[in-house]
Amino acid sequence: MFRKLFYLIIICLVVASCNNTSNSDDNIGEDIEIPDSIFDDKPLMISEEAMEDIIENISSPVEMAALLKETGVPFSKKYLCDVKRIDKLNTNFKRALNLGILGSDLGYLNMYDKTGSVMNSMSSIKTLSDELKIGQFFDFATIKRLAVNHENLDSLMYISVSSFNNMDSYLRETNRSDISSLIVVGMWIEGMYFSTQVAKVVPNSKIVERIGEQKLILNDILLILKNYQSDKHFYELVKDVEKIKKSYKDVKITYTVGEPQSKEINGMLVIIPNDESHVEISNEQLINITNIIEEVRNKLINL
Amino acid sequence: MKRIIFYIILTLFLFNNNIYSQSDELVNVCALDIGNSTYLKDFKVKLQQSSVKPSPSTKFSVILNKGTIYQLNICDAAGYEGKAVMKLFDHSKLLGSNKKSDGTLMRAFGFQCQKTGVYNIAVSFKNGKQGAAVAILSFMNVK
Repeated sequence: MFRKLFYLIIICLVVASCNNTSNSDDNIGEDIEIPDSIFDDKPLMISEEAMEDIIENISSPVEMAALLKETGVPFSKKYLCDVKRIDKLNTNFKRALNLGILGSDLGYLNMYDKTGSVMNSMSSIKTLSDELKIGQFFDFATIKRLAVNHENLDSLMYISVSSFNNMDSYLRETNRSDISSLIVVGMWIEGMYFSTQVAKVVPNSKIVERIGEQKLILNDILLILKNYQSDKHFYELVKDVEKIKKSYKDVKITYTVGEPQSKEINGMLVIIPNDESHVEISNEQLINITNIIEEVRNKLINL
Repeated sequence: MKRIIFYIILTLFLFNNNIYSQSDELVNVCALDIGNSTYLKDFKVKLQQSSVKPSPSTKFSVILNKGTIYQLNICDAAGYEGKAVMKLFDHSKLLGSNKKSDGTLMRAFGFQCQKTGVYNIAVSFKNGKQGAAVAILSFMNVK
């Protein structure tokens, strides 16, 4: 009796251990909530693996915030989403999109060292992530300590960004890519909102070029969202992103080939391939993109 | 008997958790190596020993933006013989690696992106040895 039970337990634990090895690097609980009416029996248009690649390929909002700061554009609170309405979000669709939007805001605040506002943003992020059952990825106590004491701001940035990365990986590993994709899309739209609003006031060529380059991302965003468009909320979102894509129709991206070089920067060997991309975007196109991004972003924060 | 079973479960649970916290710990340790750069993403790699040539690798794709100088750091996990070789590709074109022409391995290298697009990071282990490593993508803050 004892021997049989012993073997049974060993087998169970080995199987559980194998699952962990292939799927997760996190020692967190298995608290999974089925999202709102999103899953149906229809197969995905693209595999989970391809989805993961695509989601990974949507660049971090921190890079956009860094570009804004680098170009000397001052910080402005008016670009941030109002966190007062967060408690009213009553579906996982709305929560996930707004979590992405707040994630982007957090990157912007961190980049400009606005630690006081970080805590406001973090408490809303905590509310939304707890409701989405992914609050375990945020070490709020440490974030609060770093923010309140205005200490080690690099660590604050690191913890904030890695928390979002770990949360995103976990969602995809637990077959909640729909939630993951909404967070990523929310982040992207908010990043676009910052950059287009800034470009309205300071039409810096680097910022305008970065806005134009987002044409490359739009097909990927649509590809992941269309996986779930049988859900009416996703369907609406797809229509909004298609509107954004249409505004990019005449933006041109061309490439030139160059000879690779290398040089030392900050004591490190840096490779410069010299293949270059060039963006052609007119003022009229930029205004049109800015208006549509503003319209879509404002719609999302007022869901 | 119940007590024995409890201890077995507890031991295996702690053993499992220890494995996973080790890789997260390595990310945290490796992040200290990035200096003044800003962390973006990490990639965990674990490969078994292999005699296949070229050595098996794990690939990740990332979007890199024009005008940004990226930094790629690699850290090997303790307890494995394998030393990680990290390569950056633009499609099939090799752009850079932490492996120098004399075979020595650097802990990091930089990449000044001039063309926004999807790039691939491949991590393998020198001579196909068994290994575990963490690669970190960050961007340099150049004054």
